[in-house]
Amino acid sequence: MLDALATIQDPDLGRDVVALGMIKELAIDEAGRVSFTFELTTPACPVRDRFKSQAHDAVAGLPGVTAVDVRMTANVRPAFMRPKPSEILPGVKQTIAVASGKGGVGKSTVAVNLAAALRKAGADVGLLDADIYGPSVPAMTNSRTVPEQVNGHLLPIDAHGLKVMSFGQIYPGGEPTIYRGPMVGKAIEAMMIQVDWGRLDYLVIDLPPGTGDASLTLAQAVPLTGVAIVCTPQDVATDIAVKALQMFRKLNVTPLGLIENMSWYVCPDCGHRHDIFGHGGAEAAANRLGVPFLGAVPLEEGIREDADSGTPIVISRPESAGAKAFVEIASQVAARTSIQSFRQLPVINVR
Amino acid sequence: MEIVWESGHRSAYSGERLRWACPCAECRGEAGAPGRLSRVTALPDDELRIQDVTLIGQYALQIGFESGHATGLYTFRYLRSLCDCDECRGLKAPA
Repeated sequence: MLDALATIQDPDLGRDVVALGMIKELAIDEAGRVSFTFELTTPACPVRDRFKSQAHDAVAGLPGVTAVDVRMTANVRPAFMRPKPSEILPGVKQTIAVASGKGGVGKSTVAVNLAAALRKAGADVGLLDADIYGPSVPAMTNSRTVPEQVNGHLLPIDAHGLKVMSFGQIYPGGEPTIYRGPMVGKAIEAMMIQVDWGRLDYLVIDLPPGTGDASLTLAQAVPLTGVAIVCTPQDVATDIAVKALQMFRKLNVTPLGLIENMSWYVCPDCGHRHDIFGHGGAEAAANRLGVPFLGAVPLEEGIREDADSGTPIVISRPESAGAKAFVEIASQVAARTSIQSFRQLPVINVR
Repeated sequence: MEIVWESGHRSAYSGERLRWACPCAECRGEAGAPGRLSRVTALPDDELRIQDVTLIGQYALQIGFESGHATGLYTFRYLRSLCDCDECRGLKAPA
């Protein structure tokens, strides 16, 4: 039975699903009825349906088997095979940073929809807005509530099933945050250490533009699972995105891949597709750098409208092209983070 | 201190070797000014004994010595290049 199932290969992890420990609770009764649980490494698995039918067919073809019952579940595994959880975010299995280098390319929109899509797939997801100067997550998720404090810890705001924390909630209103660099680092650290994140499969971190204090603090404070880089198709955006990606490479943070936002526009009047900022710049850059291309998101009025009204488009208009693009990107990101669960980081012993 | 790398390779370092390899600005010098390690020929014992090691993100180790000196962030890339086992020495300087 296991031999038959071991013919199924995980395309991302490059090993068979039995060796990866994905087959659980295998049972067979006298009548030849077989049942087992297929435990995926993420509920947002891009090959979920293919795995289910492959598993069913592999077992159903065996002599003596009369019926097959495959239960599909998912259990996100922590990033990296390490002896103890990270001290700074102990309950968080995977930390995914969303960065761009350049501002205004839609990092926050992507981060919010990525988090919402992972949540929709069934994962426990947090969203940390690490943009101290220009926090936009509270508006985009309609979570402009001041967080409560319990036992010295702030409780993240629940919005659309996500646990959301942003400086824009701690200091609401129109007053600017006027901070020098070191204060930014302290503020980001506080939002990790002094916030009761609880148990999360994924913590999505929306980074501010730039390759300075905020990104550095984050890469030094927590072992990030990886970073997804957002850019628009035009050269000035991809050029800076490449800089951001190279910065994370220097810090040994795995690039999960590039996302092209504002990739095309379909005119609602004439139905014509316009490539306002060009098209395919991010994919070309990803190929050049040897990192995955995670997908393209169209420029849609709906994405902007729903961001402004506080509901991510993957929730408000799941049938729109934009929402479908975000859901596809979320599965690609989830698949890339799963690979990191099987990585063994260097082990350090001091005597 | 011993590191087992992702590849399975093992590297061992003495506190003395790591102290003399400290990459911090004070030890190495900065902006054209020579650092402390180029000015001294010996260091007291407590400068050479490791007190603690802190992981910085996933790219470096901060190594603290008993003297309190702890400003050096040793990137994994740098530490890997410092390995002087027979195999790695052979790769660096073929005999």
